[in-house]
Amino acid sequence: MDFISKLEKEIEELRQNLASKEQELLSIKHKMGTAEIHMDNQNGSSLEQTKALKVQFGETLPKWAIERYSRQILLPEIGVCGQEKLMQGRVLIVGAGGLGCPAAVYLAGAGVGEIGIIDYDTVDLTNIHRQFLHTEGDQNISKAESAANSLRSINSRIKVTPYNVQLDSKNALDIASKYDIILDCSDNVPTRYLLSDVSVLTKIPLISGSALKMEGQLTVYGYRADKNPSEKDTTYRGPCYRCVFPSPPPAESVGSCSANGVAGSVPGAIGALQSLEAIKYLVGQTKETLLVERLLLFDGEDMTFRTVKLRGRNLKCPICSDTPTITRLVDYEMFCNSSAQEKDLDLKILGPENRISATELADKLSEIDLEQRHLLVDVRSEPEFKMCSIDGAVNYPLDQMYRNFDDLLGEIRRCTSHVTFICRRGNDSQIAAKRVLEEIEENHRSKIKDLFGGLHAWSKNVDCNFPIY
Amino acid sequence: MTTLKIQLQFGGGAELLFDKIKKREVELPSLKKYFPESQKEKWTIKELLVWMKDNLLMERPELFVQGDSVRPGILVLINDADWELYGELSYEVQENDVIMFISTLHGG
Repeated sequence: MDFISKLEKEIEELRQNLASKEQELLSIKHKMGTAEIHMDNQNGSSLEQTKALKVQFGETLPKWAIERYSRQILLPEIGVCGQEKLMQGRVLIVGAGGLGCPAAVYLAGAGVGEIGIIDYDTVDLTNIHRQFLHTEGDQNISKAESAANSLRSINSRIKVTPYNVQLDSKNALDIASKYDIILDCSDNVPTRYLLSDVSVLTKIPLISGSALKMEGQLTVYGYRADKNPSEKDTTYRGPCYRCVFPSPPPAESVGSCSANGVAGSVPGAIGALQSLEAIKYLVGQTKETLLVERLLLFDGEDMTFRTVKLRGRNLKCPICSDTPTITRLVDYEMFCNSSAQEKDLDLKILGPENRISATELADKLSEIDLEQRHLLVDVRSEPEFKMCSIDGAVNYPLDQMYRNFDDLLGEIRRCTSHVTFICRRGNDSQIAAKRVLEEIEENHRSKIKDLFGGLHAWSKNVDCNFPIY
Repeated sequence: MTTLKIQLQFGGGAELLFDKIKKREVELPSLKKYFPESQKEKWTIKELLVWMKDNLLMERPELFVQGDSVRPGILVLINDADWELYGELSYEVQENDVIMFISTLHGG
């Protein structure tokens, strides 16, 4: 073990050394970069004088940029003019997660002049399966910083600004006003409404992506034709998020990647497409070719992409109409009745008489008595149950509980010992136990318990080999 | 009176309320037969939602309907277009219509 910790320490030191060397190289390259551009110009003029030959680099593109970005400059949709616009473009990415990472990579690769990336969170091991700007060595550091470091190593010619903050009504307008377009790569409802309102108030369009499980969605909100000289009707404005979704969904209907799961490639695909919409917007494409008033639906399960027609701007929208009732940012967590940060719920549904701690449960289980078999009812989903479970537990997933509710009640009635409900964190198990307590005869109620703190507590206090996920 | 064949589709998690089936062909009885009291001749989305709640919805109806409409966060699409463009609840359902219920995603 000593050898392992010694090696880990050495690796950590090498990493720090590497990071400082990379930083040094970056700053030298930055200085060289400006020098190189000067030399290009000088060479051009001296050639012109001596041989009457002039090398054309477009309007302003230096040699390095033509070489570096040639593969996209070749596209008529981008070209020299588009590349210049990209290099002057400023994109704000909100969320350095499953959507933000792929979006940021392609924008950095394309040479977008300035990328701001916001995330309040730190890198967790469970992020890395899809959030590929973060590596194993980045665990517990700021996701914004980690993403910015990776982006700088991809393209040292661009400016990358990490914002290690929770975006909220106080700081959002200040940050957003420094950018030309915003990418919503967030993971919660309050931030989505916040960003839409920011987009309307600052007149900066919003490219909104989302993903969960095997599905993704993408559209552009808050588009304004008056910012694009190529638009025929410069008065046109696209819908905002509130036009399409005036009221937030009930909090219990909203899924999350940590609770419901996500296939990494799904946000990968949607994030990549968000970057493409940003690039198209920056080079000046019009509403006909952008996802304005259209919603892209991606289903990875049967590999279908479909684009559906959305409603236009609501002329009575509370924020983006000509007579708005909302004129400044509000409290979005209150509006949505949910948190913008992933917090573990700590429900208290059952009284102490129906709860059992992990260590008490372990003691009870160790009293081996086959006649007095302890019934463990695990209410997590089937994939979770198959991933890891306590030996001997039976699986009755909460979301289908009523389908075989009678079987469960029968099993509980037959049990002469204790019945313990189990889930990941000890919330769903209380809901399940309560349903049973409401249904079952009084003489069975006292044997029904709920594992306090769920399997996380089990892992922490009883069996450290049980995975925390 | 004849029946009305349509396709219902679900996505973004809305299928979880409907036995996890994303696509299904359904045949609606004549409106008069299902709602003898109704003054209407033809099915609109409003009656369709009631029929779905009665016949297809497996659990937690409050996560699908709220009042006589769908709950906030579910987008209804009629033949790949936002139902708002067709009068929402008052749209008269046509033979072979594809009506889709998409729950909006928020993960990232």
